Amino acid sequence: MSVSPDAATAVRAPARAVRDEVLLSVRGLRVGVADGSEVVHGVDLDIPRGSAVGLVGESGSGKTLTCRAVLGLLPVGVEVTGGEIRLRGTDLTALPAAARARLRGTELAAVFQDPASYLNPSITVGAQLAEVLRVKAGLGRRAARQRAVELLQAMGLHRPEHVYAQHPFELSGGMLQRVLIAMSISAGPELLIADEATTALDVTVQAEVLELLNDLRRDRGLTLVVVSHDLAVISQTCDTVYVFRDGGIVEAGPTRRVLRAPRHPYTRELIGNHERFGIDRVREQGSGR
Amino acid sequence: MTTLNVRTGVLSPHRVAAAAGRALLIAVPVVLVSTFVTFMLGGLTDQDPASVVLGDSATPADVARMRAAFGLDQPLLSRYLLWLWNALHGDLGASWFTKIPVAQSIAERLPVSLSVAAGALLIAVVLGGVSGVLAAVRQGGRLDRAVTVVTSVLATVPGFVAAIALITVFSLLVPVLPSGGWAPPSAGLLTWASFLLLPSVALSLDAAADVARQLRTGMADTLHENYIVGARVRGLPGWRVVLVHALRNGAGPAVAVLGMHVPRLIGGAVIVETVFALPGVGELTKTAALGGDVPVVQGALLVTIGVVLISSALVNVLLVKLRPAARREI
Amino acid sequence: MTTITGALRTRAGVIAATVLAAVLLLAVSGPFLAPYDPLENSAEILRPPGAAHWFGTDYLGRDVLSRVLAGAPTSVFTAFEAVGIGLVIGVVPGVTSVYLGRAYEWITLRIMDGLIALPFLIFAIAVAALLGNAVHQAMIAVGILLAPSFYRVTRAAALSHANAQYVTAARLFGASTWWVLRTHVWSKILPALVVATANATAGGLLIVSSLTFLGIGVVPPEPTWGGIVASGLGYLAQVPYGPVFPSLFIMATVGALNLLADAIRDTSGDHGRARALSRTGARRVRLT
Repeated sequence: MSVSPDAATAVRAPARAVRDEVLLSVRGLRVGVADGSEVVHGVDLDIPRGSAVGLVGESGSGKTLTCRAVLGLLPVGVEVTGGEIRLRGTDLTALPAAARARLRGTELAAVFQDPASYLNPSITVGAQLAEVLRVKAGLGRRAARQRAVELLQAMGLHRPEHVYAQHPFELSGGMLQRVLIAMSISAGPELLIADEATTALDVTVQAEVLELLNDLRRDRGLTLVVVSHDLAVISQTCDTVYVFRDGGIVEAGPTRRVLRAPRHPYTRELIGNHERFGIDRVREQGSGR
Repeated sequence: MTTLNVRTGVLSPHRVAAAAGRALLIAVPVVLVSTFVTFMLGGLTDQDPASVVLGDSATPADVARMRAAFGLDQPLLSRYLLWLWNALHGDLGASWFTKIPVAQSIAERLPVSLSVAAGALLIAVVLGGVSGVLAAVRQGGRLDRAVTVVTSVLATVPGFVAAIALITVFSLLVPVLPSGGWAPPSAGLLTWASFLLLPSVALSLDAAADVARQLRTGMADTLHENYIVGARVRGLPGWRVVLVHALRNGAGPAVAVLGMHVPRLIGGAVIVETVFALPGVGELTKTAALGGDVPVVQGALLVTIGVVLISSALVNVLLVKLRPAARREI
Repeated sequence: MTTITGALRTRAGVIAATVLAAVLLLAVSGPFLAPYDPLENSAEILRPPGAAHWFGTDYLGRDVLSRVLAGAPTSVFTAFEAVGIGLVIGVVPGVTSVYLGRAYEWITLRIMDGLIALPFLIFAIAVAALLGNAVHQAMIAVGILLAPSFYRVTRAAALSHANAQYVTAARLFGASTWWVLRTHVWSKILPALVVATANATAGGLLIVSSLTFLGIGVVPPEPTWGGIVASGLGYLAQVPYGPVFPSLFIMATVGALNLLADAIRDTSGDHGRARALSRTGARRVRLT
């Protein structure tokens, strides 16, 4: 996957006119650990409705914790120590836990790395999808089952009835990620966070899943937040990118501009590494012989 | 057994039958060993029915005749097989002293013992289940520590001490429940329950403590798994995440330990029956053993073994149904 | 003995060991420490605890404290006897089942399964009573019923190390099975075995007291802790605290044994050593 600026322009603009309304805004977010140390130092994000925003950086740079804070799913011992997170104007950090749980699935959604581990191993994937439809979308048993099969088909799974009856250990990574994406959009959320969603998948499957996410954005107006350490993934899907490092943002801007003319030395280093170790270089060298 | 059965799904009738067949294959030697040991008990006592029945004035010829009448001159193995064969047809012989058919005595007393054992099982599941789940959900909190302390202390309390303590509190200090005796359900459900409650609780405490501890540990691990985060990220309410997703996967060790307690519940009922003066099978066995009435002892033990084996099998089935993914690891 | 000394370094281990040492002392010297003759009836029936009788008196006027002290040896040592029998019957098949071939393994597994299926207490009662109701026979019965847990523990420990690479290496160097057992496997089995023994002694004591409570394996009027509780049962209304004292002794001993077992398990074997290392701050080497 190349990272050249031309690939960045290949991202399709959303079908309807881009509204400048900000769906999610984060101001001065600080996240700390129980022993007192801080792991996210004042992060600012603006996610416009209908856009695709990328968060790129190495492991431990704070991008995942920021997303977890937005979702209200920080691990035990980690908590938001400052700043605010506003979803369409409402400050999420001020809400009680039960209210935040109600928002998940219906307004905010997420898929993560290693899809198999995020599904209950003892229940069929279809039953788990139907459960979300019953609980979050209020469908009856039969309607939920039907809708689940339809969703699975819409996510690109062939033989959806068969997939419905499988347990997680019987499906491949790519199929499971599609199932999880189906689950995440089943209650009609506006925002979907894809945190390293394609990292553990084969390259061809990776491309298919990314294309699925793009299609969802285009056809359903889904707002995407794509978190990855892989610049290629970001450049394929995102209009805007935020570069994370050591718990803070070092650079932000339209993907094209950042990739073509990085301003921060760290961003330059990231891009430089990509070029040195990307396949384009090898292919160029090969043809230059 | 790690074949992925994609076509027929995990719980096809074929696989269930195969699992049942395997369980049966293991059960047969177990039944044979335990029943044989039971039968051998008869040889332990140096009394024999002939001299017991005839008394001190018997001549050796009389004794020999009685022994033949009792069938005691046959070889051991054939006597064992005959006994087992009869037992499977409902004939457990008769008491050496009272001549009452053993099967009849047991049939009269079995409902009592089964009620207490079933009650104890139910209470163990409810008490242990609730405390285990609550302790796991509030890990590290006061409730969790309290549950740990209580279960550790309960493990040191002998059954009869628990029974006596319950009587002291609920029959003497605050006289709400009877301190002993029995009434069948036909005498009124509430009366029956009042006689059943204290014995069942006393019998259940050991199992409840173990279930609570295993459930707490199992659930504590499960609650850290990614799929719990997955369930939460989909916006499922907290109680659903715990009771539907976490419990299903974390309850395995607790169910297994419950299965191990089933023989103890049924066999240990004798203590409770003694303290609460209940006319059960355990009490029958004890009195018969002290009196040397071998057929009664053998018959009662056989029935007890049967009940234990059936309930253990049921628990195993339950375990398998809980976690079909675990069968892949077999 | 490093198995036990490791446990003694923890606070729980020290408490447990102290209690057990006290109990053992009582078991040995109890009868001599008794202020009154435990068998002597008197007119002071069902007295509450007081200066003259620290634990009060029972329905025959006998001093309860003296009876508890006099009953210590019987109650404690018979439990040891049962555990010892169970140990021998369980450990030998447990270890050898891993090394002496499939048929032998299958047979021992089925026999142990059969024993586990037996409803414990009622079986011990039946055996003990039919054997003439004497103490030692009862202990044999309890021992047989304790054997399966020893079998399982030693078998599991032996299995997990039998296939270890260092055993294969030793074999390749020509070591005999016996040598391998003695040198490598035994030191791995020992911690698990010690823990199992402590737990079995606790369980054995509970069973023994239950048996003596029911009147099995006792020769009245000899006092046993379970028997003392039983004698107080009929007079519960007048003297509700009667059974308290012997019960406390039983519970304290069982609790100390379980505590010691936990302490040993936490400080020995592979699991325990890893914990000890993390406690002293030694860094764990990550190999991946």
